Amino acid sequence: MEDPRNRQYTNGEITVFWKPSKCIHATTCFRELIEVFNPGRRPWVNMDGASTRKIIEVVKKCPTQALEWKYNKDMDEQSLAANVTYKDEVTPETLTSQNKSPEQDLHKTARVKVMKNGPIVVDGHFEVSGADGNKFRSVVMTSFCRCGGSKSMPFCDGTHRKIGFIDTNE
Amino acid sequence: MEDNTAQFKVIANGPLQVSGNFELFDSEGEIITRQGPVFLCRCGMSADKPFCDGSHKKSGFRG
Repeated sequence: MEDPRNRQYTNGEITVFWKPSKCIHATTCFRELIEVFNPGRRPWVNMDGASTRKIIEVVKKCPTQALEWKYNKDMDEQSLAANVTYKDEVTPETLTSQNKSPEQDLHKTARVKVMKNGPIVVDGHFEVSGADGNKFRSVVMTSFCRCGGSKSMPFCDGTHRKIGFIDTNE
Repeated sequence: MEDNTAQFKVIANGPLQVSGNFELFDSEGEIITRQGPVFLCRCGMSADKPFCDGSHKKSGFRG
């Protein structure tokens, strides 16, 4: 059965499909293209934020099938009709921020969540610096590799699933 | 007001140091700590996950 939280977004040329249940918070999409994929905004996908070519490039980097795309010309009428504007926005951010209180916003706390057999996901107010002291571009959410295998260190790229990373303390 | 923004410092070939205003949760959403600094394992080898136990040195972790 189709997950009612699934969403699709179009720029007229292509449609991007978003399946929150498949998302492992690798956060590749926002790190690569915050102009399009911004979980702090509603709706969180802005198809006018970049070229079709760039959007396709970043969607292909999603390590799971959480983000997929199709040319509109290859879609049937029924799936094209599902390209509507949603009011009840589901975003990657809401998946980790369900328990956020107003106090946490006030005090600008970063929420750090250790995902089961997965990365360290961070959202809220924070700064990231590398070993050389240089700051990374600030984003509203990110995820750090915990399995040791990522090819985009220090961030998660989904490798933990490929190598079968298990946190035995879970 | 003192700026106590949460800081995530990536230590070369070592753990992730977290300090400032943060809350650390396990995968069930239970709070582990609010008190920093904490050092979180990045190499995947720690026996004390999510925390670092120095295993990155033994395994020769690069990242």
